[in-house]
Amino acid sequence: MLNIDNWLQSNTFHHGQFWDLLGLIEEKEKKNLTISLCIPTLNEEKTIGKEVVLFKSELQDRYPLLDEIAVIDSGSTDRTLEVAASFGADVYHSAEILPEMGFNRGKGENLWKAIYQLKGDIIVYVDADIKNIHPRFVYGLVAPLIHRNEIKYCKAFYDRPLALSREIRPSGGGRVTEILVRPLFSLFFPELTAIIQPLSGEYAVRREVLERIPFPVGYGVETSHLLDVYFEYGLDAFAQTDLDRRVHRHQETRDLGKMSFGILRTFFKRMKARGMVNDLPELTANLRQFLAQENRYEQVIHEIYEEERPPMIEVPAYREKYGLDAA
Amino acid sequence: MSDVDMEKIMTRMNGLAGELEPFREMLLANVVMISEIPAPTFGEEERIGFLQQRFTESGLDTTSIDEVGNGVGILSGTEGKQTILLTAHADTPFPVSENHSCTLETDRILGAGVADNSLGLAVLVTLPTILEGLNIRLKSDLLFLGTIGSLEQGNQRGLRFFLANTNRTLAAGLSIEGAPLGRLHYRSMASLGGMISCHVRRKVSQISAIEIINRIINRLGDIELPEQTHTGLVFGEISGGASYKIPARNTQLTFQLRSDDDKTVADIRKQINAIVDDEAREKGVSCHLEGIAWTRAGGLESDHPLVVLTRKIMTGLGIQPRESIYSAIISGYVEQELPAICLGMTDGDNINYPDEYVEIEPILTGVAQLIGVLMAIDGGCCAQY
Repeated sequence: MLNIDNWLQSNTFHHGQFWDLLGLIEEKEKKNLTISLCIPTLNEEKTIGKEVVLFKSELQDRYPLLDEIAVIDSGSTDRTLEVAASFGADVYHSAEILPEMGFNRGKGENLWKAIYQLKGDIIVYVDADIKNIHPRFVYGLVAPLIHRNEIKYCKAFYDRPLALSREIRPSGGGRVTEILVRPLFSLFFPELTAIIQPLSGEYAVRREVLERIPFPVGYGVETSHLLDVYFEYGLDAFAQTDLDRRVHRHQETRDLGKMSFGILRTFFKRMKARGMVNDLPELTANLRQFLAQENRYEQVIHEIYEEERPPMIEVPAYREKYGLDAA
Repeated sequence: MSDVDMEKIMTRMNGLAGELEPFREMLLANVVMISEIPAPTFGEEERIGFLQQRFTESGLDTTSIDEVGNGVGILSGTEGKQTILLTAHADTPFPVSENHSCTLETDRILGAGVADNSLGLAVLVTLPTILEGLNIRLKSDLLFLGTIGSLEQGNQRGLRFFLANTNRTLAAGLSIEGAPLGRLHYRSMASLGGMISCHVRRKVSQISAIEIINRIINRLGDIELPEQTHTGLVFGEISGGASYKIPARNTQLTFQLRSDDDKTVADIRKQINAIVDDEAREKGVSCHLEGIAWTRAGGLESDHPLVVLTRKIMTGLGIQPRESIYSAIISGYVEQELPAICLGMTDGDNINYPDEYVEIEPILTGVAQLIGVLMAIDGGCCAQY
């Protein structure tokens, strides 16, 4: 029936399994792979410098695992780009990549444009707001793809669902994972519940996969990836790596509401496309929240358009850059 | 060491900070990684483990962790007749629960312990790679030592253990601290860090232990402190009691006594002991004095070649040596009669507070001075004295 137990056994890793970086680099070179790191940013001056310095020093200068380190920015108004450039990252304004395709403000947009701009056979995405950044956030994610050809998409998680001192700890998804995404996956795609943190912002993916999937520009990008890769390649294309602890910003519950809204729109869009739900009304872009002011309640309407970028392989400039039409 | 040899070193110093530029990111990455591993005194294992991993990755001939937990790495010299000891203390005053995440800005690094002493440790672990990259081969063996238990009640346990037990012929000791640039310490004062504890047996006496400690403080204030030996007494910390409405059963006072002269400290310690014993005569009251840290007076004279040449190297690099020459760090070396100095790597502020920071730009000059001093010791500046 379900493949979950076997998959958890064979495709779930801990970063400690990949401490032999010299061996990893040897395997990477043997397979003639190139790896790009993409850090999407919007006003991350507090954490970006540390991230760039650590990855450059440890995974380029000391252990040459990464072929490029790029920051793709949505229009920061702080010193994010200046700081990143001063420590040696390649920095790009998202709006200046594929300008003929226009510009959307959103993390998904940056991730999508990275496929065009960066050269790696594998792209590893790492969020910029990680306070306890460490090289494991990169090597822990790319190692399964280097070692095993059939793995195409490796996702991070940050808590170990293992027995510790006779006590089973619950696997630690975030709030949106536990009250929205996991119940949805349980109902409709139970195999995907094996992915412990479906919304984590850190993952490594082969280009051949990235260029063939659409990208919601906002909150739905991680959910859409899981669904689209699952539909095309099945659970066996995924792996996940335990990266221990991740310290990051705490998000307000109201912001999680916006995230959930974007995820639901992305999810229902795919359900509809696969004929799994009929008679679905047209999905509104309006999320309604309420503010209390003394005895008055005020409705606040957030317009959340979850625009999707097409698979990059359909973009003429990309086909030209990578010579896809020549063949 | 001849003037000609020294001139060669001074010539080599020209542009050295610029040559260190390719190692900047590696140094900064090491500062970040070290800072984010908590290392309160007596809890340095994980940080020392990281140091040892770095020593191994640098290709040092020998790396190990000694019996008390110091991290040790050895870079063999071309002759190896003598060993130069480079040390940086691994512990910080911050508990594990403190936020150890640091921030890297374009011009500075902020975070608990970055100056004291993550930067010093980062320089220690990066130096083997730097020397190899710059093709600087010294005749002497270099022994890199990340020490445990240096602060407060640690009483420099790691350094003292190493110096008392090493079988190597040490030419000199170089202690690396993160800040400030211009720091040149080469003498230590005599000192006693002490803790006076008072306890009242409630079944016997209703007096508050705070009254007892108050009497002791007043009597300590009456002790004559000789000015000619710059003797001083600092009351550092006091604690005790359980509630505002119940007479305190216990109190503790910590203090530091400092002087230019070991005998003065010993004499005053006897007086303090006598006061404490006298107060303990009261029925139901017990008081005692415990020494928690101590240093010996001594160190190099200001005309010692190591001091003179270090000043010359600093001045040549545009670093203004600071006036203070005393540090407790030097005491461990004084006890073993080993010439030693302590150098700072850059400027910083808010030291020992969570918003501690160091400036990035001067770091490479700080490292250049360290390399210059290493070359001077390697050239024999300590041997001829």
